[in-house]
Amino acid sequence: MIRAVIADDEAPAREKLERWVAEQPDMTVVGSAEDGLSAAQCIEQLRPDVTFLDIQMPTLSGLQVAAQLEPSSAPLIVFVTAFDEHAVQAFDLNAIDYLLKPFDQDRFARTVQRVRERLDAHESGATAVAVGRARAPACERLLVPDGERLQLIDAVSIEWLEADDNYVHVHTAARSYLLRRTLQDLLSQLGEQHFVRIHKSAAVNLGAIGSLTPLFKGDYEIHLHNGRVLRLSRRYREALFTRMGQ
Amino acid sequence: MNALSRPPPAGVHTDWSETFPPKTLAALWALWTAFWLLMIGVAIEDQLRNPLTRWWEPILTEGSSALVSTGWMWLAVRVRGRRAPYLDKPLIWFASYLRWLPLVCITWITAVYAIRYGAYAAMGRTYEPQGSWGFVVVYESLKVTYNSGLWLGVLFGIDSYGQWQLQWRRLLQTQKALAEAQLARLQGQLQPHFLFNALNTVSALMHTDVARADRLVAALGDLLRISLRSNEHEMTPLAEELRTLELYAGIMIERFRDRVTVDWQIDQALLDIPVPALLLQPLLENVFKHGVEPTVAHVRIIIGVRRESGSLEIVISNSGPLLAPEHRDGVGFRNCRERLGIIYGDTASLRVCNEDDGVAARVLIPLMDAVQ
Repeated sequence: MIRAVIADDEAPAREKLERWVAEQPDMTVVGSAEDGLSAAQCIEQLRPDVTFLDIQMPTLSGLQVAAQLEPSSAPLIVFVTAFDEHAVQAFDLNAIDYLLKPFDQDRFARTVQRVRERLDAHESGATAVAVGRARAPACERLLVPDGERLQLIDAVSIEWLEADDNYVHVHTAARSYLLRRTLQDLLSQLGEQHFVRIHKSAAVNLGAIGSLTPLFKGDYEIHLHNGRVLRLSRRYREALFTRMGQ
Repeated sequence: MNALSRPPPAGVHTDWSETFPPKTLAALWALWTAFWLLMIGVAIEDQLRNPLTRWWEPILTEGSSALVSTGWMWLAVRVRGRRAPYLDKPLIWFASYLRWLPLVCITWITAVYAIRYGAYAAMGRTYEPQGSWGFVVVYESLKVTYNSGLWLGVLFGIDSYGQWQLQWRRLLQTQKALAEAQLARLQGQLQPHFLFNALNTVSALMHTDVARADRLVAALGDLLRISLRSNEHEMTPLAEELRTLELYAGIMIERFRDRVTVDWQIDQALLDIPVPALLLQPLLENVFKHGVEPTVAHVRIIIGVRRESGSLEIVISNSGPLLAPEHRDGVGFRNCRERLGIIYGDTASLRVCNEDDGVAARVLIPLMDAVQ
C-alpha cells in the first residue's frame, strides 16, 4: 500500500484529494493536515510514501514544509497549487510532480501513476526538498522536535550547532534540540548568511560570537556571549575570519 | 450681483489664486510694462516736436497715469483668484470688475492730477489741464473706461488660458489616476488565485453536493458579471454593493468553511444611498488575504453599515492577527482612498486601524442633502 499524507487548508480541496487518493486500489490516506506545521508533524510521525502539499497554507507554506524535511528520508512530494507562476516555473524543470487547481481525474491519475513509478524506482523526495529550499532560500525558521510535537524556532535564536553522528544538537539560549539530520544538510537549509562552520562537527551563529583567543598551531578558542567556549579548527579559520571581517 | 456672493460651484476644492500658472502672470506684467513704455515713448516724441514743453513734462504726464493705473491693475490681479470660478461666465466676470469703475475713475483722476499739480509746484511751475474741469473729468473717465475694458480683456484672456491649462492638466491627472485605479482593481478583483481556488472548490463540491456546487457556480458567475460590468465612474446603490460583498463572502466561506463567519450589521434605511461601485470588495478581499488565510484560528468578520453624524459609515472588521504596517498602505487601501478623493474630495475617508481584537477598515462617505 502507498501511504499518503494530504495537506490543504481549504476543507473542500482537502476532502477532494482524500477521496480520490482513497479511491486508488493501492493507496491509503494515513493523515491529513490543515496547515503547514501540522503537515510537517504528520510527515515526521507517519513517515508516508507520498505527500500532497498545498502551497498556500497558514503557519508554513507547502514549499517551506518541503524545505524543512531531511532530503534522504523525505517522502515523494506532489505540490498542489491554484496559481503560482514562479512555483510552476520551478516545476517545469520536471524536478517533481505538481497539480494545478482545479484538476480532473485524468490529470490526477497521471500524477498517481508517476508516484507509483518513482516509488518502484526507490526514489526519495530529495528533489522536492531541493526545490522547496531554492524557493524559500533563507530559512528564517527551523522546525524542531519538542517531545511529541514539532515546534518552529527562529533561526537567529540558534547559537550553535553540534554534530553527533547522524544527529545534530541545535543549541539556543534557552535549551537544546536533537534533530535527525546531518550538519551539512542543516547548514544548507539555514543558509550561509548567519551560520559558519568552525569545526568538522560544529557550526556557530556569527551573531553569538563574543571574542576569539588564539591557541597553539593556529587554532583558536571562540567565546560565545553566553560564556561557552568552542574550538575553531585551522581548517575553517580563514572562512570564519573572512565572514567576520565583512 | 447676487451671483457674486454665491460660493463657487460645488465640487471645486481649489484655491485658484495659488494654482494659476505663474508664467501667465509674468506675461501680463510684461505686456503692461511694454504698453506704458510705449505711451511714454510716444509722448516724448510728441514733445520733441513741441519746443514749448520741457523734457520731463511728458514723462510726468504719462508716468503719473502709469503709476496710478498700475495700482489699480495690481488690485485687479490680486483679486482675480476670487473671480476665477466665473471665467466660464464672462458677463458676470466683467461685471464683477466693472462695477468698481466709477470709484476707479474718481480716484484715478484725483490721484493723477494731484501728482501732476504737486510735481509742477515742486518745479516752481503751474500745471494747466487741457481744458475745463468738466471736460477733464469726462475725457479722463472715457480714457479710464476704455483702458479698463482693454486690460480686463487681456486679463480675462490670460486667466482663461491659465484655467484651461490647469483644467486640462487636472483632467489628464484624473484620467491617469482612474486608469491606474481601474487596472489595480482589475488585478485585485479578478485575481487568478481567487478564481482558480473558487473553481477548485466547485470541482470538489460537485462530487458530494451538486446543489451546493451549482449555487457556487452561480455566485461566481454573478460576481464576474458585476466586476466586468462596472466601471470606475459608476455609482451604485449601497444594496448592490453589499450584494457584491455577499457573493464574494459566500464563495470564500465555502472555501474556508469552518474557519470563518460573517456577521452583517446593516442599517436598512441606508440601502438606497449611492456609493462608488466595487469600492468595498477589495477591502473584504484584504480581510481574507491578511486575516483569514494566514491563520488557523477561527475568524469573525463583521460588516457594518450605519449613519454616523452626517456621514455613511461602512466598517469591515475581523478578529485575529493585527495588520502588519506594510499591509496597512497596500494597493487595495490606496486604490480605495484615491477613488474616495476623486469623488468626494476631503469629505470622505478610509481609516484602517488595529483594534483590541483585530483589524477594522472604516469608510466614511458624506450623506447628500437628499437623503439626510
